[in-house]
Amino acid sequence: MDGIHDLGGKEGFGPIEVDEEHVAFRYIWEGREWALSRCARAPHISIDWWRHCRELIQAEDYLNRPYFDSWAQTDLSTYINADILSIEEIKTGKADNSSTKNLPVPVKLSLEYLRKNHRENAIKFNNPERSEPSIKINQSVLTNRNGHSGHTRLPQYARGRHGVIHKYHGAHIFPDLSAKGIKTYQNLYSVAFEAAELWPEANGRRDRIFLDLWESYLIEVN
Amino acid sequence: MSKFDSKRITEIHQHLHTHLPSDSALRVKTLESLLVEKGLVNGETIDAWVELYSEVIGPKRGAEIVALAWTDPEFKQRLMNNASLAIDELGFLGTATGHLQVVENTPLVHNLVVCTLCSCYPFSILGIAPAWYKTAAYRSRIVRNPRSVLEEFGVEIDDSIEIRVWDSTAELRYLVLPQQPEGSKSMDLKLLSSLVTRNSMIGTDRFLKINTRRKS
Repeated sequence: MDGIHDLGGKEGFGPIEVDEEHVAFRYIWEGREWALSRCARAPHISIDWWRHCRELIQAEDYLNRPYFDSWAQTDLSTYINADILSIEEIKTGKADNSSTKNLPVPVKLSLEYLRKNHRENAIKFNNPERSEPSIKINQSVLTNRNGHSGHTRLPQYARGRHGVIHKYHGAHIFPDLSAKGIKTYQNLYSVAFEAAELWPEANGRRDRIFLDLWESYLIEVN
Repeated sequence: MSKFDSKRITEIHQHLHTHLPSDSALRVKTLESLLVEKGLVNGETIDAWVELYSEVIGPKRGAEIVALAWTDPEFKQRLMNNASLAIDELGFLGTATGHLQVVENTPLVHNLVVCTLCSCYPFSILGIAPAWYKTAAYRSRIVRNPRSVLEEFGVEIDDSIEIRVWDSTAELRYLVLPQQPEGSKSMDLKLLSSLVTRNSMIGTDRFLKINTRRKS
């Protein structure tokens, strides 16, 4: 979707706050939200649907509210959507347990357990049985000119642009369909774009921008 | 009705905008207490996750990977070939590093990492991302004018050096392998890893120093 989240190349956000305190969580609630997002999620959710729900936060809130705050709002939206929480419960802060049905029982895990088993959180998104690229390395490609109103990972700034296939990564879950609950795989490539192909003021600069793009975002060109 | 309906989510966000307390701490508290009351999460597991990412997992892991790559050419080879497998040797595989890529700085190349569409980050080796990495200012400008961003971070980079910006648009995550500073050849792994700043592994730092302590 052409939402506010698609920030690459947008101008006017001012300087970057470079001198921040070096801590994982600046506030206790940030750590709580991070942990909540690790412990539970709405059923049948995919990372792509979750990201889409975050993109759908009203633009003013997306830009102005703190980062982990937007995670909390995204989580809440997915629980409401899955009929696990209601607006009424959120208004009152009191759970109506009569509506709770067949929910998974939470597990109590210690720090030691989480540390030892952390590698289980390294989720794989590729299909190991598919590793045949259909576009060759160094092949020139043109990206799709348009996006669509659903979730997509082809940013606006790289649409309708010429690039070169840099690396092949196998077939990965295609996010545009995964965000609709449909799991399919498509070849994934790192594609290199000359800065001057993307930005009018970059003429003469030798910099490059690399994006990881799925096959259906790309058209082979001569 | 489909559970994947954008319009319904937009309506829910409008309700949340109206009914949630403005204070972030209260918003998260609302979520946590409802999930605990409904028996969906366990309070002690939440505590353990907070501790894991406050105390155990952080950029020191990335720095160890870098120091090892500087000193052990075979490890470096494995890291460049398949970074997820290589960090698993060290016990560092985890959240968001299942498809890790390492990009190497050279005298002629400088790498930078961003996620313009959300804020993807290799959590299990760098910990929680710094706040600046998640701001609109960084996410918007780094792909368009990386040199001005580096300047703000105090990094002066010659025009002859090629900048490569990696926008994490898929489930691949990126770690920058910075150059080993001059005069550090004789140092042991522990000392070497203390030279590696977090920002140098994202790309907003380039010239590591051998006599300053890590700052960010």
